[in-house]
Amino acid sequence: MNEEAELLPGTLDLLILKAVSLGPLHGYAVLSRIEQISGQRLFVEQGALYPALFRLVRQGLLKTEWGKSENNRRAKFYELTAKGRKRLQEETDWWKRSAAAVTAALAARPQQA
Amino acid sequence: MIAAYLRSIARKFLGRTQIERELAEELESHVQLRADALERGGLDRAEAERRARIEFGSHVRFKEECREAMGGNAIDQGIQDVRFSLRALRKSPGFSLVAVITLALGIGATVATFSVVNTVLLRPFAFNHPEKLLWMYSQRSDNPRTNFSLPEYCDYRDQTTSFEGLAGVASFNPSFSDSGPPERVQGVRMSASSFAILGVRPFLGRTLIAEDDRNGARGVVLISYGLWSRRYARDPGVIGRSVNLNGETREIVGVLPASFALPNLDTEIVVPLQPDADPRRTVRNSFNFLRMVGRLRPDVTAQQAHAELEAIRQNLQRQYPGIYTGKVEITLVPLTEEIVGNIKSVLLTIFCAAGAVLLVGCVNLAGISLSRAAARQRELAVRTALGATRGQLTRLLLTESFLLALAGGALGMLLEVWGQRALLRLVPTDLPRIESFSIDWTVLLFAGALIFFAAIACGLTPAWLLSRSDLRDALVSNGRGSTGGGWQSRLRTWLVSGQIALALVLVANAGLLLRSFVRLSSEQPGFESSDVQTIRFSLPQTGYDDVATIVHFYDQLHSRAAAINGIKSEALISILPLAPKSISFIHFTRPDRPPARPEDTPSTNYRIVTPDYFRAMGIPLLDGRNFTESDDAEHPPVAMISTIVAKNHFPDRSPIGQRILVDDTDGDPRSVEIVGIVGPVKQTNLETPAKADIYLPLRQMPKDGVPWLRNSAYWVVKTSGEVAGVERLLRGSIQNIDPNVAIGAVRPMSEAVAAALAARRFSLFLVGSFAAAALFLAAAGLYGVIAYGIQQRNREIGVRLALGATRATILGMIFKEGAVLLVGGIIAGFAIALALARLVASQMYGVNEYDPFSFAVVGLILSVILFLACGIAARRAMNIDPIVSLRSE
Repeated sequence: MNEEAELLPGTLDLLILKAVSLGPLHGYAVLSRIEQISGQRLFVEQGALYPALFRLVRQGLLKTEWGKSENNRRAKFYELTAKGRKRLQEETDWWKRSAAAVTAALAARPQQA
Repeated sequence: MIAAYLRSIARKFLGRTQIERELAEELESHVQLRADALERGGLDRAEAERRARIEFGSHVRFKEECREAMGGNAIDQGIQDVRFSLRALRKSPGFSLVAVITLALGIGATVATFSVVNTVLLRPFAFNHPEKLLWMYSQRSDNPRTNFSLPEYCDYRDQTTSFEGLAGVASFNPSFSDSGPPERVQGVRMSASSFAILGVRPFLGRTLIAEDDRNGARGVVLISYGLWSRRYARDPGVIGRSVNLNGETREIVGVLPASFALPNLDTEIVVPLQPDADPRRTVRNSFNFLRMVGRLRPDVTAQQAHAELEAIRQNLQRQYPGIYTGKVEITLVPLTEEIVGNIKSVLLTIFCAAGAVLLVGCVNLAGISLSRAAARQRELAVRTALGATRGQLTRLLLTESFLLALAGGALGMLLEVWGQRALLRLVPTDLPRIESFSIDWTVLLFAGALIFFAAIACGLTPAWLLSRSDLRDALVSNGRGSTGGGWQSRLRTWLVSGQIALALVLVANAGLLLRSFVRLSSEQPGFESSDVQTIRFSLPQTGYDDVATIVHFYDQLHSRAAAINGIKSEALISILPLAPKSISFIHFTRPDRPPARPEDTPSTNYRIVTPDYFRAMGIPLLDGRNFTESDDAEHPPVAMISTIVAKNHFPDRSPIGQRILVDDTDGDPRSVEIVGIVGPVKQTNLETPAKADIYLPLRQMPKDGVPWLRNSAYWVVKTSGEVAGVERLLRGSIQNIDPNVAIGAVRPMSEAVAAALAARRFSLFLVGSFAAAALFLAAAGLYGVIAYGIQQRNREIGVRLALGATRATILGMIFKEGAVLLVGGIIAGFAIALALARLVASQMYGVNEYDPFSFAVVGLILSVILFLACGIAARRAMNIDPIVSLRSE
């Protein structure tokens, strides 16, 4: 069975927030981090990443700063803001609730009447 | 909030390149980092970078998405809207062209009239705090606006405490010469304190200072901006130059600002009054030639000042009994009111008319865009379905109308800039302050505001309609667009009725102006203006000290004129008829009927003439005899009067052979015998009914009148038809006698009559054109709404025809709709016109501002034209083929 999962719509923002919450990252590192923390199961389209990042910056959930990457390249680092942290918490809760609900629903068996 | 928004846009706009650069750098760094990772996986660097780039895909596309994600790109969106609107407008070039031309004419006309209003009414006056300045007249029982004598002025000046200062102003029309031939200029003598009182700053050099009024002070003169431009080509080196005024050398010390103007006085030059050097300073009953202007002290009201001046006047009357009789009150008028008061209502009428045309034009365009929006409902619905928000669509429609307004406005401004010369030729030359006309920032700002207004007026209704209608229905109903159609057509109905109402108001006003104009131009001025040439001149100060020298001058002129072919008769007169700025009148009494009270002493216009004057001007001799060359100093003094004097003062007997006492000297009244009666003449303007006139022969004129006549006289020449080069011949005759005579305006008498009608011709022409334009637009609007209605109901009409309705029924149906609009609009228009009638009352002549005849005719004309528009539209309906229209769906 293929271990790669399709990225569910609406989850990209959540995953980015989660990835960045573990420490400031530049764009490319966000991709790798998501792959890493999903156990190499989720892959983000490179082109989709940047519009998402900019959107989150515009919403005030992320802030940016230019810095040096681990191999000494100039890169823009993304960091969670307080608002972003709060949003991450909310989204995580929402995800858990929905996932649990969907899981529960899927676990249902035909009832013996 | 708006400010913050604008700032953020500005920041984004200014920071754009910065953002772009960062974006490019970030994406590039991403590629490099990815390449690093691939390189670690064993690829060589070049291959790693190539692979990284392929994986990442097109930069351009991501950049676009990123930009959008960054958001707030109002400018980009605006540019997009503009691009899109341009495309939409290009798709309907007919509409765009009509819209741009309509707006260009509307905006151009409004801006043009505004630029005149701005120059004449709105621009600050040359005076400091003009609202504190009062202009003064001495009121007599039979004339509210007469002048003061020099001693009288000095008394008021020295005794009043209500004013910071009181200045005396008198007209002064000397001959002016430097190196070239002498020229007769029209200016004023003003007390040197005037400029401090008025608060006028010079354009160049200085104004008058107290020193200039001192007895024996060096002669100085100020020249107007106009004279400076005309005669000296705006040479700043003119200051300090010596010129010759009436043979006296004076130094030009300053140039007045272009906006400097005084009521009913030309100010080409200004010289100091020098009251103490004037021989009249001590002559109590001397000539009244001064007007007064004063600046109120800050703590004094005009009423208080009036009360104080009145007290002084009564004191003076007690102090000098018999001298100031007849002067019953002092009239105070705000100076600015006195300068522009007469023309204010005329200019505002014209301005409002232009504004109304623009409004009607905008309403027309709104109507058309409304139909277009309805027709485009499907297109807009599809856009909505594809994700456009309602806000975006509204913005799109507004952008379209904004672009149209901008194009129209730009074109209108071009018209204004190109047409300003023509505009100035159209404007009556005696319009106060018009010589300082220019298109300034106020005009540009106004034009900007108009463009904005036009854009909103044209674009808002369709946008509003859009917000009301359900676009999904439009999609479902297959473009027949029935939803919103109700709103749309009702709105258009209202708009068209409004247009008709506005057009009616304009046409009614134009009609009233036309009737006034016709009445006025058919008024008999009392003389024949055809083939009469007039030349104003002034004699040099030296060599013409007594009556005999002036008579001698005229005798020479007379014999030279006799040698010119084609001259029928010619004469001299002190003041020509229809010379609004010149007044001269005297008091007279019938010895057998002295007035009950001294202030009831009657007055009359006073003219010095040579015998042929009445023949040259075609003024009929009604009784008695004409003056002859033998009515001279050797013979008993005689006079001629107009029928008005005869009617008012000799109701009991024929005045011929009667004696009257005329007060035309600085001394006591003298007795003259009436020898002839002539017809009445309108001396000041065509509007005012002819007043009393008295004529005295040149050879018997009193010595006191010499300086006055020397200063300004007219030579009137009646020719037999057109005489080639007559002006040159006449000028030559004068200059051959004495080259130092300053010749002023040479013009046919018919021109003077035309000038008396100029202001009315101007307003009639403009209001008339605007009314015609509004009528045309209203007709087009009506046509549009009817034609559109027919088009919308094509199918219905087809069905009706198929079911047996006759074409006449259909036509009746359409006309009924038109009639409803028409009647509604006309009733509303009459209501507005009647409500506004009072405002134009001052411009009426010989016709009531509620004139029922004019209103009836206007209503009729409007109805006929609008029904015609209706009929043309209906012809379309007649061409409907039921089969085709039913099949077409």
